[in-house]
Amino acid sequence: MLDIAFVKPALPRHGALVLPVAEDGRLEGLAQAIDTASGGAIGRALAAASFKGRKGQNCTIWAPTLEGGAQGPSRIVAIGLGKPEELTPEAVEAAGGAILPLINAEREAVIAAEALAPPLAASLAMGLLLRSYRFDRYRTTEKEEDKPKLERVAVATDAAPAAKSAWAPMLAVAEGVFLARDLVSEPPNVLNPAEMAERCRSLERLGLQVEVLGPKEMKKLGFGALLGVSQGSANEPRMVVMQWLGASGNNGGKAKKPQKPVAFIGKGVTFDTGGISIKPAAGMEEMKFDMAGAGAVIGAMAALAGRKAKVDAVGLVGLVENMPSGTAQRPGDVVKTYSGQTVEVINTDAEGRLVLADVLSYCQERFQPRFMIDLATLTGAIIISLGHEHAGLFSNDDELAQRILAAGKAVAEPCWRMPMGEAYDKQIKSDIADMKNVGGRPGGSITAAQFLQRFVNTKQGPMPWAHLDIAGTAWASKDLPVVPKGATGFGVRLLDRLVAEHYEG
Amino acid sequence: MLKVKLRRAPRLDPAVPRAIPVTEGAALAPPLAAAAEAARFTGRAGQVLDLPMPEGRVLLIGAGTPRRPLDWEMAGGAAAAAAGKAGRLAIEARGLAPGDAAAQAAGACLRAWRFTHYQEKPEPGPAALDLILDDPDAVAPHWDRAAAAVRGCLLARDLTAEPGNRLTPKEFAARLKDLSEHGIAVDVLGRKRLEEEGLGGLLAVGRAAAQGPRLAVLRWPGSIEARPIAFIGKGICFDTGGISIKPAAGMEEMRSDMAGAAACAGAMLALALRRSPAPAVAVLALAENAVGADAYRPGDILRMGSGRTVEVVDTDAEGRLALADAMHYATRRLQPRAMLDLATLTGAIVTALGHHHAGLFGNDAALLAEAGVAGEMVGEPLWPMPIGERHREDLRSDIADLKQCATGRFLPDACHAAAFLREFAGDRPWAHLDIAGVARRAEAAALGPKGPSGFGVRLLDKLVSLYFEEPEHH
Repeated sequence: MLDIAFVKPALPRHGALVLPVAEDGRLEGLAQAIDTASGGAIGRALAAASFKGRKGQNCTIWAPTLEGGAQGPSRIVAIGLGKPEELTPEAVEAAGGAILPLINAEREAVIAAEALAPPLAASLAMGLLLRSYRFDRYRTTEKEEDKPKLERVAVATDAAPAAKSAWAPMLAVAEGVFLARDLVSEPPNVLNPAEMAERCRSLERLGLQVEVLGPKEMKKLGFGALLGVSQGSANEPRMVVMQWLGASGNNGGKAKKPQKPVAFIGKGVTFDTGGISIKPAAGMEEMKFDMAGAGAVIGAMAALAGRKAKVDAVGLVGLVENMPSGTAQRPGDVVKTYSGQTVEVINTDAEGRLVLADVLSYCQERFQPRFMIDLATLTGAIIISLGHEHAGLFSNDDELAQRILAAGKAVAEPCWRMPMGEAYDKQIKSDIADMKNVGGRPGGSITAAQFLQRFVNTKQGPMPWAHLDIAGTAWASKDLPVVPKGATGFGVRLLDRLVAEHYEG
Repeated sequence: MLKVKLRRAPRLDPAVPRAIPVTEGAALAPPLAAAAEAARFTGRAGQVLDLPMPEGRVLLIGAGTPRRPLDWEMAGGAAAAAAGKAGRLAIEARGLAPGDAAAQAAGACLRAWRFTHYQEKPEPGPAALDLILDDPDAVAPHWDRAAAAVRGCLLARDLTAEPGNRLTPKEFAARLKDLSEHGIAVDVLGRKRLEEEGLGGLLAVGRAAAQGPRLAVLRWPGSIEARPIAFIGKGICFDTGGISIKPAAGMEEMRSDMAGAAACAGAMLALALRRSPAPAVAVLALAENAVGADAYRPGDILRMGSGRTVEVVDTDAEGRLALADAMHYATRRLQPRAMLDLATLTGAIVTALGHHHAGLFGNDAALLAEAGVAGEMVGEPLWPMPIGERHREDLRSDIADLKQCATGRFLPDACHAAAFLREFAGDRPWAHLDIAGVARRAEAAALGPKGPSGFGVRLLDKLVSLYFEEPEHH
């Protein structure tokens, strides 16, 4: 991970100097200093390149000659921030992300952020850091010159202490995002359910309580749906329960009465062949990311613990591998879920909802949470519905849905609300069981959500619940402002922001 | 449509079943009360109890807890469905507010519609309705207004039900010309004028068919000083897919690929019948997307009416080409104050929303909200869908101004289609309703039998009556 520091402004003598400039803004601080030191050459070069500080603009000036032959940076990168009145944290973050590819060949960089308020300086660093993620664990022959070099970034600000205190929680969240991206990037022969559970256990170092349940325990509990999915695989399933008692317990002082926790549930199919209803070969390798919902939940729990959030939160992930084999579940099988409801399995490739069904009811029964949010790469239909910009949001609670929409918007993880209703629920009626696991092509993502909703028990009163179908947003096929191509970690920042905005203190 | 009589008392004819709507928990007269209790009839919406009585059948219709006229329409629809083979039906509406009484008749007419044009001996069913009222004179104006929207809706269904060999572009245009008897001015542009207008999208789509494409322009003058609201309809009389031909299974349903145009025509009729003060226009792109030696091809580049060039990727994404030219024509020639297009446009919207919402896209938050309100009121619900930056980016072409659709797996084609259309909306407030999932009913529902739904007619009529009958919109 990049080393990011907030320092007092001083001109660097090597590496990159980054000048974030607002539209029609003057060069100030370090920018002005380097301009002066170069005898006004920087300003003239920017003018010659028609650099106006517009959003998306950038301009690189190589090895400027400084007066008196002083040693200076090997490149100066000006980056446009856009209109001053539009300098939102999101916009600054995106600008930070855009800086990264321009300086990745330098070992060190200084960013002249004096003109930005301390929290915005931290946002700029956050964008840069998030964009710098790289998963190169399995590259053994990459040439040295092809590798990114950037190791240290110093953000120059006159208010370093204030920027640092804004930065500390952001760094914890970035670590959560990177954890999620690592998990999603790992190949399925490495990251099987047991290995994924081990990685959860390693989060105990952050103060999380981690329990891991294996097939025996889940059989005893009656997780017939989850176990049905996993029964075709040589890799045993796991369910991991992570608890962060930031409001009542773990926060240093003495334990207080536990609050009703917020609850996050993730789908963790470490590889999804489709099972007997096997998928077409083309693109099947992508199905390693069918655990991205669980990855996001794990990342979010790490983020909350890492920044010592004042909240009680639980994260539950159902980890299975969906394989075809002699012991695999068949279309036509009927399974009994933890809730007691039965499901006719029509399509073994609609397995995620089976896994989530057991985990959702278990979570609700055990923790009586304030709300439940599940994240899952659940349906191809959500990609056909919305594409890759928005995750599908389904909810039985308007307030929770609004909060999720707002949180997602603030952290570049946008969601789009989708409808639910009785008419759609009818599509999953079964002739033999309480429901079937698919409802046909029409409204395919909606019927999946209706299925999940049947495992949200509202008999004891309202249970706010939301389901995020992240099948279209878990993986980026090209670079995005704060996400390099590949695993996005979608959901980590959204959940963290949701908690920070509404459920702490 | 049912022949509706507003009457003070039921006929004394045992062959005419009498439907009595019962709100949930309402008390019934003694002989009915006992039967209802025995049959556990409580008045819940959807319940029907068919009671043979000496004076004729009595149909108890569960009306639930009606809050809106729409709920009374559904009760009326249930009554029509329960009438079975009876040729005449009476519905009890005494004691109801005039608007609710009229709503029952509207619902019955919508539910009782059938398309028997090509059947020698259609199944018997209701053809007439007696609406039993305290004061027929008080209900009459309400009924006239409701009936206008119903007639518009049923026109749309009739058109949509017609097969491709009957309702050709030429025949569709001829049927539209019949609307002039209601005060609607109808102008039909044939190939020559389309060429003069440069509508290369519509011309390409209709090129291979034996009957050429047409653009039908309907104008209702209204009576207020205002620019018109414009309805733009996709009217593909039959859609084979063209060179990107569709699979055979289910292709027969493609006769209803003109449901958007039919809905616009129906809405115009509704406005004219009720003498709406709002000026309105409809621009309907009529064509058959056929295969043929001169068919347009994937890879072709078309110059659209707006002057933009479009790279064709899939000849089965023809609707957006035809609509784009119709939208351009409307913005250029008719200066609408708002524009709504209706189209059975994409399979993707069916995957997204199924059969219970139409997809709603657009460029104007106020207009979208208004369309949503109107849809809720008439039981034609819409669901807002996004047009994202990525959707537009996906339409970048290497060779033309834009591609007509994207390529690859799992494509959000409904969003892509909307992003495409937006390029032709200019700066007009514009809403796009993708009705591919709702234009036909797979099974009978409260307000219609299996088959064409006429979705959109009542929505547009309601939208106009709520928001466009004053000179200033918004």
